[in-house]
Amino acid sequence: MHLLIADFTLRITSELPIYMEEGYQPFLQEGEIENPDINIECLSGIPEDFQNVKTFLFEAEDRNQKFYSIFKHKDGLGFYIYDQQDINTIQQIALLDETLTNWKIFSRPLFNGTLFPLKYPMGPILMYYLTVNNEAVMMHASGIFNGKKGRLFTGFSGYGKSTMSRLWQSCGNLVINDDRLIIRKQDGGFFMHNTPMYYTDQPKKSPVSAVHLIRHASENSSKKVSGAQAVSKVLAFCIQNNFDKQFIQNHLSFMSELCSAADVYETGFLPDTDIVRYIQENDY
Amino acid sequence: MDTSSLYLLKSKYVTKEIGDELVLVPLSGNVSQMNELFTMNETGRFIWENLSKKTTVEDLVEKMTESFDVSEEEAEKDILLFLEKLDKL
Repeated sequence: MHLLIADFTLRITSELPIYMEEGYQPFLQEGEIENPDINIECLSGIPEDFQNVKTFLFEAEDRNQKFYSIFKHKDGLGFYIYDQQDINTIQQIALLDETLTNWKIFSRPLFNGTLFPLKYPMGPILMYYLTVNNEAVMMHASGIFNGKKGRLFTGFSGYGKSTMSRLWQSCGNLVINDDRLIIRKQDGGFFMHNTPMYYTDQPKKSPVSAVHLIRHASENSSKKVSGAQAVSKVLAFCIQNNFDKQFIQNHLSFMSELCSAADVYETGFLPDTDIVRYIQENDY
Repeated sequence: MDTSSLYLLKSKYVTKEIGDELVLVPLSGNVSQMNELFTMNETGRFIWENLSKKTTVEDLVEKMTESFDVSEEEAEKDILLFLEKLDKL
């Protein structure tokens, strides 16, 4: 089987039948493909010999949760993915080769004999590693398309990304996604794509014309930022595993181009639909 | 902060020149630091560009007072603040 996510092709092979969450179903493609962007081989069981600690590279954790650890492996990168209900349990071990294109994902079979290789957070990790060498970033943002122009709204958690999506949707605009997007450079332009979530949604794509760094405020306002300020502020809301200099360089170069092609604004807003009109009148 | 190894601070960052400014991103083993990137003002960039293998704080103070209208005390204070910021990220 294969998935098409953000116009990337992911070929999946498995020694057991695969269980995939409903959010992935619209991204499944029929038929065979010749040159996938990445290959994912799904294997049954967690091998004991990978439990020996290799060189530690990166820990993805925050105050509330531990998601995964990355180690240098003799053939590339090794990932320990933790069960989000029990962080002392490793739910998958994944190996990514040095070309960043071939994955092996080890997981225990479910009670019905299927494998669940993309169980969260493995799915988003795969998607993130699609971006690091492919003129793309993965971003925490809401993406809105009004039929002509695409706008990204990003900011800290609680700063209004979902509110902004709801307001634009109520005015008849298309929400690409209100949480996580992949932004790609394609055919000389920049495009945002949604990715599989825990709920069902169709694959969507839109050009990127502007980026708004949003916050709740006592009045609607918008101030353009550019250059290094724009790059650093927008990049801060991209997903980054910053243990590798080349990954960082790639993302910095991408963001520099994106912030030249799209206008970047710091936007304060009140939570009503006036902000939709305000932005449409003021960001071009 | 160990001022005998100032140059090593540079290896903790990846930089990109955008216009006449520099963006710095820290190499990090922890996801909680991924939002801590910053841009350099003129003084910061001057210090960054003058950090070489055998640079001392005294060297930086001397170069800064030669290039900017600033006293030795002010220069040293700015330099130490900047280096501490680099070291903490």
